[in-house]
Amino acid sequence: MEFFKNPNFKFMKFKYIAFILSFVVITAGGISVYVKKGFSLSIDFAGGTLVQINFKNDVSVDKVRKSLKNVDLGKSIIQKLGEGHEFTIKAQKVSSKSIEEENMEKPEEVANKIVDALRTEEEKQLLKEGKLDLNISEKSFIKNLLLQITGDEAKAEEYATKIADYKKKHLGIIKSFDEIKNLLPKDVFEKLKEKSFLGNIALLRVEIVGPQVGKDLRYKATQATIWALIGMLIYIAFRFKFLFGVSAVLTLTHDILVTLSFISFFNKEISLTIVAGILTIVGYSLNDTIVIYDRVRDNLKKYVKKLGIEEILDVSINETLSRTIITSGTTLLTVLALYIFGGEVIRDFAFTMLVGIISGTYSSIYQSCAYIGIWEKRKEKKAKEKKIANLKRIEERKKSEVKKVKEETVPPPQKEERKPAQKTAKSSKRKSTKKSKKKKKKR
Amino acid sequence: MKSVYTKFAIIIVIIAIFVIIAVPPKEKIKLGLDLKGGIHLVLKVQTDDAVRAVTDQMILQLRSEFKDKNIKVEKVRRIGVKEISIEGYDSVAEDQIIAVLKEGGFQNWNYNVSAGKIILKLKQNAEVKIRDQAVEQAKETIRNRVDQFGVAEPVIQREGLTGQSERILVELPGVEDPARVKNLIKSTAVLELKIVVNGPYASKEKLLEKYNGKVPDDMEVVPGVTKEGSREYFLVKKVAAVTGMDLRDARVGQDKYGAPAVSFRLKREGAKKFEKVTREHRGERLAIILDGIVQSAPVINEVIYDSGIIEGHFTYESANDLALKLRSGSLPASIRYLEERTIGPSLGADSINKGLKAMFIGLLLVIFFMVFYYKLSGVNAVIALLLNIVIIMGALAYFRATLTLPGIAGIILTIGMSVDANVLIFERIREDLKLGKTPKAAVDEGFKKAFITIFDANITTVIAAIFLFQFGTGPIKGFAITLIIGILASMFTAVYVSRAIFELIFALKKRVETLSI
Repeated sequence: MEFFKNPNFKFMKFKYIAFILSFVVITAGGISVYVKKGFSLSIDFAGGTLVQINFKNDVSVDKVRKSLKNVDLGKSIIQKLGEGHEFTIKAQKVSSKSIEEENMEKPEEVANKIVDALRTEEEKQLLKEGKLDLNISEKSFIKNLLLQITGDEAKAEEYATKIADYKKKHLGIIKSFDEIKNLLPKDVFEKLKEKSFLGNIALLRVEIVGPQVGKDLRYKATQATIWALIGMLIYIAFRFKFLFGVSAVLTLTHDILVTLSFISFFNKEISLTIVAGILTIVGYSLNDTIVIYDRVRDNLKKYVKKLGIEEILDVSINETLSRTIITSGTTLLTVLALYIFGGEVIRDFAFTMLVGIISGTYSSIYQSCAYIGIWEKRKEKKAKEKKIANLKRIEERKKSEVKKVKEETVPPPQKEERKPAQKTAKSSKRKSTKKSKKKKKKR
Repeated sequence: MKSVYTKFAIIIVIIAIFVIIAVPPKEKIKLGLDLKGGIHLVLKVQTDDAVRAVTDQMILQLRSEFKDKNIKVEKVRRIGVKEISIEGYDSVAEDQIIAVLKEGGFQNWNYNVSAGKIILKLKQNAEVKIRDQAVEQAKETIRNRVDQFGVAEPVIQREGLTGQSERILVELPGVEDPARVKNLIKSTAVLELKIVVNGPYASKEKLLEKYNGKVPDDMEVVPGVTKEGSREYFLVKKVAAVTGMDLRDARVGQDKYGAPAVSFRLKREGAKKFEKVTREHRGERLAIILDGIVQSAPVINEVIYDSGIIEGHFTYESANDLALKLRSGSLPASIRYLEERTIGPSLGADSINKGLKAMFIGLLLVIFFMVFYYKLSGVNAVIALLLNIVIIMGALAYFRATLTLPGIAGIILTIGMSVDANVLIFERIREDLKLGKTPKAAVDEGFKKAFITIFDANITTVIAAIFLFQFGTGPIKGFAITLIIGILASMFTAVYVSRAIFELIFALKKRVETLSI
């Protein structure tokens, strides 16, 4: 089976449309970031407290917020995860004192506050009566209670392990006592039921990051990104021409910007895993770019006198098109599986990768190759203009003196400009390619 | 060229080694905190405490020396954390003091004589050493506590460069009682026995009435809690008679009413000090202070030698934990939490299920696609892919690397990306077949041409992953490592193994006219 039989798309023809598209996306991204006053940073980078909770029953975000308002945490960012009853709560105080400062002094405080706020009056009453909440309690507390009931250390440990394992399999929540009835002997079960209750919530995760650590992680992430980019630039410049290295890094920057734009559009938080995602995209997009560059390098040798640079690029892209589509396809399939089935913790990472893979595939054609096309064409045009000028000068000099002037006085072309030069007439293009190639050889 | 069969022998040996290393994966592969549940802590050791303690010790030594030599000095006090000011002496005493300072035992201190005042300052290198030792000792103490509690494969290490970093990273996978363990680690468990000068009173003001509201230089106010649960304050001597450092052992015991308490025994040095203090202060009260709070303040009825008991409002469990903490030594300085992540065991179990599910679905999708698109050659690629996963697992087990949730994501990503090498090769082969080459020539040519591309393309991802590994923490490191291993493995499986399979086909059939690709 084949997707494309001898594809022959004129990719380079549409490069300016592609530039406009990229420009629009990135500008919109910039505006979005500006309007939203920067990115929202996860607690990894901003510091703070994050609590993940599983509720026994269905609860709405509004109800959770109402409860949190009672303990001065009404501004917290509350997120419902997926279909279940899971929530993440990023604690945010209404009053002015920085929550991190207060928090790091008493690490348990904020988490406890949240848990207390989410308890119902009935539960509070049961706690006062000295009953144990099986859902929120850690294993050692359950074991303690069982020790009181059975008076046997080994048995208490055995039963507590059974209950803990059951909780492990059900995201920390025992919905009704019937569920654990068969795990324990009848008498123990009855006594346990008497002395405990099944609370409304289970605490799945508590993360507290101090401001200093947040700052450090921010620094580390920036360092990692910058050094990775430099490393790749060096490698490509080493393996290919310097121009290719520069184009590749511009392409990667494009991919990073597009990904960041989408992160802003969809109000995702930038976290450590997102940074990992972005760096992976950098690697992945470069992978794509290199495969095409590799072909371009081959084809430059092969078609040196026959085709213009844009045609060579088009041929190279078409020749690798199947591969590009298939690899992006398989990677996209797996990342999609990760996005759908991988769970909440990894979903943002998968989202970043989805955006990045699409952007990376597109950009390896429409950014990395287009830059080279434009650059080489400019060079060609410059060379041609110089040549015409030279010819004119020669003619003039011929008229005045009868002396020969060397052709090779062409100064090197000026620094690259991003703005596209005027389109050259098609007829003259091929001729000039030959010339520029010749010159390159001479150099 | 090596024969096909030697190649296969090599491949089978390599794969066998990885299988042996990785099986059974449940036991061999170390799971990260995010998959197993557990605690990740970054602590900062407040090394100022340690420096202050050394300075206080020095003050004690100076005072006793002055007393022994009959040098009249009014005040010896600490300024900041590392300076001592000696004040209130006459010119005769000044010479004597300087003689004492020159005598020895003060090599870590610079002193400076100015008008009516001698300032001692801790030397820079000594200070650095003290701070470094404090962090080292804190690390060891935490390790002791964790070991006694029984956590499998804990990570307890200093972050950053030794000698500079005041941070300690603690990772405790699979802990089912996070709150209890955290308390165990955090509490400095600084035990101090100090002579009570005044109190207890319900308020600080009342306590200091006698002293015009000012705390005398050599004393300090320490809070306590009454049996009824309200606050009370003690005025105690600043210098401790005995500290936790003098302890030899601590066990759970009972007080005279049968309630849980902690009994302790002292080392010989400590016992001597204790005996002296209890003899001198008979009839006075002795405050037992734990982490800055008075647990109890019994009256000294008789001279005590080498053992004692700490009474407080303990449950059996808290008495047990306290004994454990005292046994494993007190932290030389207090500790602040900079970062604290607790992942409950149930979330870890959930994450691993979902991660594995995503992995299998992704794998199936890719397998289905490859076989559909490349037919029999696709099967070849699938074999390479499966071997790749085996190698990743084996390598993870061999290096004792940790598999984290992002690590699983890394494997999933590798599944998608590693077929890339096969795709590159297969596409080249197809091109050559179109040009009319024989299957064998096309395969040879395809592998040859594609290899350099594969190498170039993969190396860049490895570069990105290496930087991620370098700068990343826990879970991210896990991601980087699976990505690196996966990519390197894919170069082996897609290039070497796939080619061997093609060669096997050519070797088995003498004439291969068409290639299923």
